[in-house]
Amino acid sequence: METKSPVIEIKDLHRRYGRLDAVNGLSLTVRAGKCYGFFGRNGAGKTTTIKCLLNLLRPDSGTARVFGLDPRKHEVAVKSRLAYVPDAVAFYPWMTVRGTLEYLASFRQHWNQDIEADLLKRFQLDPGQKASHLSKGQKTQLALIGAICPEPELLVLDEPTSGLDPIVRREFIETVIGAYQTGDPARRTVFVSTHLISEFEGLIDEFTIIEQGRELLTMEADAARDRFQKIRARFAQPPAQLDFPGALNVKQGGRELEILANGNSEPLLERLKSLSPEELRCESLSLEEIFVVSHLLKKAGV
Amino acid sequence: MMFQIDFKSGKPVYLQLVDQVRYAAAAGSLRPGESLPSIRPLAEELRVNRNTIAKAYAELESQGVIETLPGKGCFLKENNSPFTRQVKNKLLLTEIDEAVVMAHHLQVDREKFLALVKERLDYFDRKSKGND
Repeated sequence: METKSPVIEIKDLHRRYGRLDAVNGLSLTVRAGKCYGFFGRNGAGKTTTIKCLLNLLRPDSGTARVFGLDPRKHEVAVKSRLAYVPDAVAFYPWMTVRGTLEYLASFRQHWNQDIEADLLKRFQLDPGQKASHLSKGQKTQLALIGAICPEPELLVLDEPTSGLDPIVRREFIETVIGAYQTGDPARRTVFVSTHLISEFEGLIDEFTIIEQGRELLTMEADAARDRFQKIRARFAQPPAQLDFPGALNVKQGGRELEILANGNSEPLLERLKSLSPEELRCESLSLEEIFVVSHLLKKAGV
Repeated sequence: MMFQIDFKSGKPVYLQLVDQVRYAAAAGSLRPGESLPSIRPLAEELRVNRNTIAKAYAELESQGVIETLPGKGCFLKENNSPFTRQVKNKLLLTEIDEAVVMAHHLQVDREKFLALVKERLDYFDRKSKGND
């Protein structure tokens, strides 16, 4: 599996809009079977990158490969193996739900009718309803059905849950886990761009944080949660001025200390234990907190 | 059985699931022959990647805690650990050492520590009997 060509491979990608460098030397690799998070603030270059993968935009320089192919030269070969759910979905307003799905299916070699029936029921979508009468949440649900029924090898989601209510967001993620991931796991890859990171926390195997068109941090989720930890200690007496080399941040409030560890929580914990704390706790940062910390680190030039 | 995951625990999610099955087996809330939840509904319920659940179950299987019957699911095995006595001791010693070090830093003395160990052993015994 490791020897297969990656599902997505981006190398030194550049794309500008006029004077703005939207994507400025980005590289990343998504291996088959993974759920890859692509995190960035608004305007960080996420959608531009995705558009280069789908040949909706041409890169100025660098390469984007999907299934080892150049999407500019092999557009049909690439697109027939993936599905894309954009942030704002648009359907022909006069078509019904049923008509829209039939239309989408007509472009596909394979369409799983059982999944379609199952998801229509789950989302309580009326097949006779006109697309123009659907709410934003229902339009996203319809787009998700259209993306999952062809059982593509790659599912590209661009801010799929922003602007949706909590119930719809929850159902969306459960559907990606349940209906999409259930097939052959080695042939089910998810590439999701979002800034609603906490919702996808459990789904993400690996992620890249992008800022100003460049990679800020790429890590496996478990490794990141192991590296960035928050240690809290409480002492009987306010501790004397202590320095903790390698700590990202040290906060002191009376008898309590809060230390942000960057891959060095073990030695920091040992050191704190030797000071006989009344209480000592250590917890991992969530991916969302790691996202914030990585931007602070960049500002501080660490 | 019910699972609870905590992204802040600092432990990879799949290992949290492994530990919870082992705990449930030791406490008797999961008995030999009983089935574990199947992967898809559990992944949906916990909202974690199904690969994570599959990895946890694969780990439990390699540890000899559960067995997979094709088409039927995963079941808790009879408790006959495949490890030799030396390996068992070694695995246990690491954990015990950690507790001993912790007790030292928390200034829990020998008698109190031993009393606590005994209390926990009794607790699991009671729990396990209560579940029979």
